[in-house]
Amino acid sequence: MKIIIVGAGEVGYHIASRLAFENKDVVVIDKSVDAIRRVTENLDVQGITASGSSPEILEKAGIRQAEILLAVTNSDEANLVACLMADMLSPATRTLARIRNAHYDQYHGAFKTAPPHINTVINPEIEVVKTIYRLMKIPAAVDMGELVEGRVKFVGLRLDERSPMAGVRLKDFASMFGQTRPLIAAVVRRQELIIPRGEHRLEVGDLVYFICENDRLKETVALFDKTIIPLRRVMIVGGGRIGERLAKCLEAECIHTKIIESDLERCQALSEAMAKTVVLHGDGSDQNLLLEENVGDVDVLVALTNDEETNILVSLLAKNLGAGTTITKVSKFSYIPLMSTIGLQKVVSPRLSAISSILHDVRKGKILSAISVLGEEAEMIEAIALETSAITGRPLKKISFPKGAILVSIIREDTIMIPSGNSVVEPGDRIIIFARRQVVHKLEKMLTVKLEFF
Amino acid sequence: MRWQYVGNIIGILVIFIGVVMLVPLACSLFYDDGSQMAIVLSMGCAVCAGLFLFLVSRRSGIEYISPREGIAIVALGWTAIGFFGALPFYFGDAVPCFTDAMFESVSGFTTTGSSVFTNIEGVSKSLLFWRSFIQWLGGMGIIVLSLAILPFLGVGGMQLFKAEVPSPVPDKLTPRLSDSAKILWYVYALISLLQVLFLMGGGMGLYDALCHAFTTMPTGGFSTRNASVAHFDSAYFDFVFVLFMVLAGINFSLHYQLLRGRTLIFWRDSECRFFLLMCLGLTVVVTLDLYGNVYGSLGSAFRYASFQIVSIVTTTGYATADYELWPGLSQLIIFICMFIGASAGSTGGGMKCARLMVCFKYCYRELFTLIHPRSVAQVKINDAVVPDHVLKSIMGFLGLYLLLFAVCSAILSAMGVDMLTSLGAVASCIGNIGPGFGTVGPVDNFAHIPMLGKWLLLWCMLLGRLEIYTMIILLVPEFWKK
Repeated sequence: MKIIIVGAGEVGYHIASRLAFENKDVVVIDKSVDAIRRVTENLDVQGITASGSSPEILEKAGIRQAEILLAVTNSDEANLVACLMADMLSPATRTLARIRNAHYDQYHGAFKTAPPHINTVINPEIEVVKTIYRLMKIPAAVDMGELVEGRVKFVGLRLDERSPMAGVRLKDFASMFGQTRPLIAAVVRRQELIIPRGEHRLEVGDLVYFICENDRLKETVALFDKTIIPLRRVMIVGGGRIGERLAKCLEAECIHTKIIESDLERCQALSEAMAKTVVLHGDGSDQNLLLEENVGDVDVLVALTNDEETNILVSLLAKNLGAGTTITKVSKFSYIPLMSTIGLQKVVSPRLSAISSILHDVRKGKILSAISVLGEEAEMIEAIALETSAITGRPLKKISFPKGAILVSIIREDTIMIPSGNSVVEPGDRIIIFARRQVVHKLEKMLTVKLEFF
Repeated sequence: MRWQYVGNIIGILVIFIGVVMLVPLACSLFYDDGSQMAIVLSMGCAVCAGLFLFLVSRRSGIEYISPREGIAIVALGWTAIGFFGALPFYFGDAVPCFTDAMFESVSGFTTTGSSVFTNIEGVSKSLLFWRSFIQWLGGMGIIVLSLAILPFLGVGGMQLFKAEVPSPVPDKLTPRLSDSAKILWYVYALISLLQVLFLMGGGMGLYDALCHAFTTMPTGGFSTRNASVAHFDSAYFDFVFVLFMVLAGINFSLHYQLLRGRTLIFWRDSECRFFLLMCLGLTVVVTLDLYGNVYGSLGSAFRYASFQIVSIVTTTGYATADYELWPGLSQLIIFICMFIGASAGSTGGGMKCARLMVCFKYCYRELFTLIHPRSVAQVKINDAVVPDHVLKSIMGFLGLYLLLFAVCSAILSAMGVDMLTSLGAVASCIGNIGPGFGTVGPVDNFAHIPMLGKWLLLWCMLLGRLEIYTMIILLVPEFWKK
């Protein structure tokens, strides 16, 4: 399968790395010599130093044989032109563009039918705002995602000593908590990802990833001795595109919101666009300003400036001054594992979210959705069990799953089941699998066709 | 540096060398030439040592090989391969001591073609076959071959590939390395097969045709005859050899493009055009120099001149004439040819045409900016700008190449070897050519060089084959620091 990626920035690089790892033929195009050098030196991909929106270059990269073109440069316009050219040269190639300008939001669907016929338009900022919003709802949640059209949530929570689950073996869960027991997919202990079996015990300090139905979320979270409280006051530091989007979304819910932005012109634009939100001009890392604006009383502080280091410092400062929880935007992947050690539990990354939606799109057909967990360590995959795939028609204990993957739940019509060794997946069931990055491509193969068909 | 990774992959390479010894073993059984035991013993040693290394350093799946590990694997791997490749010569009593066996083996794998055998025709057929076969393996590269056939190396393969084929113009044929490696080997094998057919068409036996094709395509130069190609003394064979030496000196990705229907690619590619025109130009000059002086007819002057120029410039090293008897100008041209080398991405050695072209163009640009101080000019090859880091690395390469040539020939002459021989031997070994000047000329061999000198020269061969940086970096203390 040949894939052309236009743009070798952080997003392009990481997608290329994932796809090359899964043995796909990847060609990366970028104007910057250094970016191409970084990609070709570290990954098994082909690099072309040129503009990806040039038809000549796309031709050279082999657009006619390519199955997918991913346009993920920093410029919306360049991405659009690349897709337009690709559509002209090779209409059969599926195209995907990252377009972040909010003005295009309404027209994502129109791109599909009218030229340039972009099959998928992703705007990671929409996704990030959704994630921030979900994280606000459960103050204790570190990570949260939606599956099965939002009917199922997967949540990452830190286990503390007050929870009745601490120290309990997984196989005793059923007798202790009955029907409300959480479906535990993975545990992160001391930066290490563990896929727990029945014999494992949960320890205090573990980050527990579980799945539960939307309606049961409250009860399940209660098991962790955490509550879902209604939001009242939010402070946003950084009034960029994401900040504006989030503020608008909060305004609609009548939540008291303040935005701090350092650029005066931008402040004016924001105040023009907002009705009730308080727009403040100033530096988010200025302690006096935070105190003046009563940072100690806010439920959530969201740090969304374009500078990661500022975001981290603002969050730490706000915590110190008594803010309820903080959500920090971090784009550099190397920082993400550090965040929990410095006490910042809730982290969002637009790039990561772009990567996971793009990967999901690349795998379209077999997999309904895929959410990256823990940076890029693992993925939560939702798929439909096909009749031809190796997973159906036999009890699970007779199916050899790749090591590092676990079937978390089976959804048949409206019921969500916790699988046991004797459960049988039937064709048409939706299944949710948690898998380490290394085995994703094996899993993908397994979900499509039985080996005998080859 | 994670030594278990390095050991593990070198273990695999050594096992691989042990396994390919089945080829000379089959040859030995076929001719019943008495070398069976030596080959079986060497196979046993290589496979056992390789397995031992592999098992001792077993690891749980390589995810990433750092550039430093890549260099260590390639540099030490080639040394290990040279060592185990030497065992058949040693056990087969083809040489008096192990140094000679190692020299012959490294000379083979690096496609140099310098020999210590005083009487080649006295050595058993299977050992001579092995000698040619290792040149064929070394030509396109052991690592490239293992990337093509051992898919599990693919993950960290890029670092290994870069360390073995540090071409100044990096171009992958396909997005994935293992596919590119496969294509290169298919093309290589295809042209080799073509040459075997051409040689057999001219009446050469299958054995000789195979052995010579195995040493032409990698621009190696080992022959099964004492007198090298001169033994056959036929204009047809000379022509076939010249043709295939030129093909071997051209970037193999161009062959692939030719096979895919781009017929004018040899002329369109500026490096290839430079290489072909240079071969032609030098041949004309040498022909005119020889005509009347050495050879009476223009035809034979052209025949010998073209063969010798192509043989040296592609770094093959076959001989049909003793160029040491030629006039001064011709000898000097041959000496300079030793440094030029073939195209980048070919199996030839030397400095490579691409680097020299970049160097010339860079010098011209410097002169140009002296005349137009405010001009913005860039060095271009094939209409593409050569990036600054490549430019710097090429200049560094050329400087280092000449420096090492000077230092090594000084060391060699300090061991009591005369000046002309020292210069010739080192130029020939660093350039992976074969014959040198003085007492190591085209009709002589390297048997009389002192033992330490042989080790120095075989290090020079590895230096040249892995294009200086990969090998010399092992001598830099910084490399070994944690």
